[in-house]
Amino acid sequence: MITLSQRREVGEFRKRYRWMALFVVLVFAGIIVRVAQVQLFQRDRWSGIAQQNITKTLELPATRGIIRDVEGRVVASNRPSYDVYATPRLLQSDDLGRIASLMGLTDADKVALAARIEQLPAERRTHQIQLFRDIDRDQLAAIETHLAELPALDIVTVPLRDYPYATLGAHLIGYLNEVNEADLRNAADPSRYRPGDRIGRNGLEKRYESLLRGSRGFRRVVVDARGRALEGATPDSLDVEMLRRPVPGDDIQLTLDMRLMEAFDRAFRDHPSGAAVVVDIHTGAVRALYSKPVYDPNEMSSGLSTRRYAELTGDPFRPLIDKTIYETYFPGSTFKVITALASLQDGVVDPAQRVECTGFIKIGRQKFRCSKRHEWVDLYDSIVQSCNVYFWELAEEVGIERINRVAHTFGFAERTGIGVNSEAKGFLATREWYQEHYGAFRIGYTLNTAIGQGNTRLTVLQLAMAYAAIANGGTLYIPQVVQNVRAPDGSLSETFQPHVRRETGIAAQHLDLIRSSLVDVVQTEDGTAYKARNREGVLVAGKTGTAQVVGRKGRSEESPSAWYLDRSHGWFAGFAPAHEPEVAFAVLVEHGGSGGASAAPIATAVMQEYFGELHEEE
Amino acid sequence: MAIGRTIRDEFDWPLFISVSTIALFGVLNLYSATDGGTTSDAYIQQLYWLVLGFGVAALTAAIDYRHFERYGWLVYGACVLALILVFVLGKSVRGSTRWIAIGEFSLQPSELMKIGLIIALAKYLHHDTKTGGRTLVDLVIPGLILALPMGLVLLQPDLGTAMILAFIFASVMMLTQLKLRSMVTLLATFVVSAPVTWFYLLKDYQKERITAFWNRLGGTEADLLDSGWHAHQSLVAIGSGGLTGKGFTQGTQTRFRFLPDQHTDFPFPVWAEEHGFLGALLLICLYLFLVLWSLRVASQAKDRFGAVVAVGVGAMLFWQTVVNLGMVCGLLPVVGMTLPLFSYGGSSLLSTMLGLGLLMNVSMRRFSH
Repeated sequence: MITLSQRREVGEFRKRYRWMALFVVLVFAGIIVRVAQVQLFQRDRWSGIAQQNITKTLELPATRGIIRDVEGRVVASNRPSYDVYATPRLLQSDDLGRIASLMGLTDADKVALAARIEQLPAERRTHQIQLFRDIDRDQLAAIETHLAELPALDIVTVPLRDYPYATLGAHLIGYLNEVNEADLRNAADPSRYRPGDRIGRNGLEKRYESLLRGSRGFRRVVVDARGRALEGATPDSLDVEMLRRPVPGDDIQLTLDMRLMEAFDRAFRDHPSGAAVVVDIHTGAVRALYSKPVYDPNEMSSGLSTRRYAELTGDPFRPLIDKTIYETYFPGSTFKVITALASLQDGVVDPAQRVECTGFIKIGRQKFRCSKRHEWVDLYDSIVQSCNVYFWELAEEVGIERINRVAHTFGFAERTGIGVNSEAKGFLATREWYQEHYGAFRIGYTLNTAIGQGNTRLTVLQLAMAYAAIANGGTLYIPQVVQNVRAPDGSLSETFQPHVRRETGIAAQHLDLIRSSLVDVVQTEDGTAYKARNREGVLVAGKTGTAQVVGRKGRSEESPSAWYLDRSHGWFAGFAPAHEPEVAFAVLVEHGGSGGASAAPIATAVMQEYFGELHEEE
Repeated sequence: MAIGRTIRDEFDWPLFISVSTIALFGVLNLYSATDGGTTSDAYIQQLYWLVLGFGVAALTAAIDYRHFERYGWLVYGACVLALILVFVLGKSVRGSTRWIAIGEFSLQPSELMKIGLIIALAKYLHHDTKTGGRTLVDLVIPGLILALPMGLVLLQPDLGTAMILAFIFASVMMLTQLKLRSMVTLLATFVVSAPVTWFYLLKDYQKERITAFWNRLGGTEADLLDSGWHAHQSLVAIGSGGLTGKGFTQGTQTRFRFLPDQHTDFPFPVWAEEHGFLGALLLICLYLFLVLWSLRVASQAKDRFGAVVAVGVGAMLFWQTVVNLGMVCGLLPVVGMTLPLFSYGGSSLLSTMLGLGLLMNVSMRRFSH
């Protein structure tokens, strides 16, 4: 039985309901507008984030192109290495400790790792960072076993560069190391390089970086908020590319013959430093580009310590220098063929005319000494026996201008255009240059130039190319080290044709004369390289040379063995086989003393091995 | 049976249908939100709670509300007592003590307190014969009716529920007329107390949320790792739903666990992600209807008690809905606030159903004398 004591007036409330209803409608309208804004107008933005939320992108690195030699032997390839990446946002508090114990880290390393992750700015924490590179098998096994419990970690297989011939040809082949900020800034296509990537830093690896590199791919996996991969859970609404296969780089086949390189390495075993170049005289294809000593490309690619770098730069045999193209030398008597051709071409000399060598000549008060008393010699004899007196007499008549002109024709004092690494130009001193640097021009300068001393400087490659031109009848080629480029599917994408630099225009009979004299350097008893001849087998022709070493400073501070570094460089440049030449070569033995005793035996031995094998194979 | 016939004749079908529809959507949404997770049977629990809730609502509706008027202080007192018991028997979850365990179930007395407060205020205003402008002195007693439970709830601490209690109080008091001078004084007090609240009453994590919210409103990218993360992922879920949504159980934000508390405080983003703007609009309009309908019930109530109860229940639904939706849409800072009928949780559902039962009660007895 319910009765309210009195009827309560509700009229006072009546006028409020409309205002309340209006307020309610307005507030709800505001919410609807907001939801419409988010769902209809900002939809793409939020959808993008939603898709990023549930996908994790794993990079698929491209396999770098393989470099092979002329016979298809692998010079640079790839081996798998395992890198560990982490997404910092997903790291749980105790993960680092587990990772450290799985990896077998020291406490110091563990602290350093924790500090590294701590330092990351918030916006980088959702991106993967590399924790470890190239982990070993045990570490890989340990991490892989526990990968399911460590969703923040990923193991990425990265092909790492491998050089089967180790250090052989390292200057030419080059190496990779990590990209720096300048590389990232200067890259034509910025998406191709990321921090941590490796880039060809030297040699062919650098020159053909764009071909060898290939392009990376990726695989996306669907993950939950903790970063755990959910296989087969791809939602229908996910509208992103899930897989892009990497495109491997192009393969490169070189003109280089690694067996020849190995032969040089054996032949140089008694000499601490030197260089050798072999080129095909008909194409300019480089068969060997050998420089000793050499650095270890693996060491270079992992980044040198300051101490190690100082060691390498302080080494008196300069392992960092490519002695085939970057260093220049006095040519010594190997230059005499140029002087001879200069005189012959302009008809300055009758090659049959004889000159008496008394062992020296006197010009003014200066006495120029020959290696010995050669008696009466003509042009031919003086090349075979390397008589300086004959060439001095000749030099007075030919003059420095003619010598320089023919030297230029044969490619000296300009880059050969091999196109790999930095190449030195070399130098030919002119009359004006002498006037400028020595006050006045004296005839003595011409005499020095004629026999390859003076201020003439050239590279081993330049000399080999010049001798190739002499051997092939006067055509100077541009040296090439790459024969062809193949796409990943094996199809040829580029083949390099021989490239003629210039016809020297030297008359055939003059070249014949020089060639036959070069044959007799080795074949006759008087010849300076007679002792180095191959008694049977391949006949080799060439010119010996001995280049004085001058201008070394600070000798007194050096070790007792420093006397060695004052010894002359030995040269031997020529071609083989002597009567039907196929290749030309230049061999330099640093501090080897006389070329006939140091460089010539190397050249003849290597040629014997090279052509011996060729004939066996045929 | 005169009353029985009345109930059948006067049954408020629009109220019943709109409430049932929201509750049904809520269960479906809960199924999707927890599908594949560790709490995948939560929707069955929710169904049990719903059956219980409808039963409680039916019971509440069946008893003439004048009984509630008569025992108003008793109801209020019981609720306050339960709040005090929380400190004695309560269990602590994430730093606040809000729950009392009764057997297998946990009860949240602060939820029931909302109903207790509504009934107490209704009883007070029912007997307050005064009409016309009220002064601050007239607000002292109703103020105390609010202050006691609100203080207890703040001690738990449960800022969200305390806020709702205050909003219910303010909304109900809007029915009466307040003198302009009193309004100005109230406003001034609020302005003065805001900094005090900020510096002395708010916890660090609460301040952080509010700061993050202001940063977001200002357009600066908030630190997505901490307090901004929830609000951000909620917007991602809603926004990526687009016009028509990703489809039932297809929400990626939901399935891959990017939404925090997706079945309690964040069920709307789940719904909006899977059903798009059209689904969201439908749900919002159902709530709008429910609130407007409760105002209609209030306006037709035959006495002050009924009118105040209807407005109080409407206010409870309105403020909880608005705060929850505003929070998940990034319009308000993230506070713990359930979406009535839609969120998972027994206490919340039970108090809502109690309120709706009272509303039905008032609605059905609008003509009886």
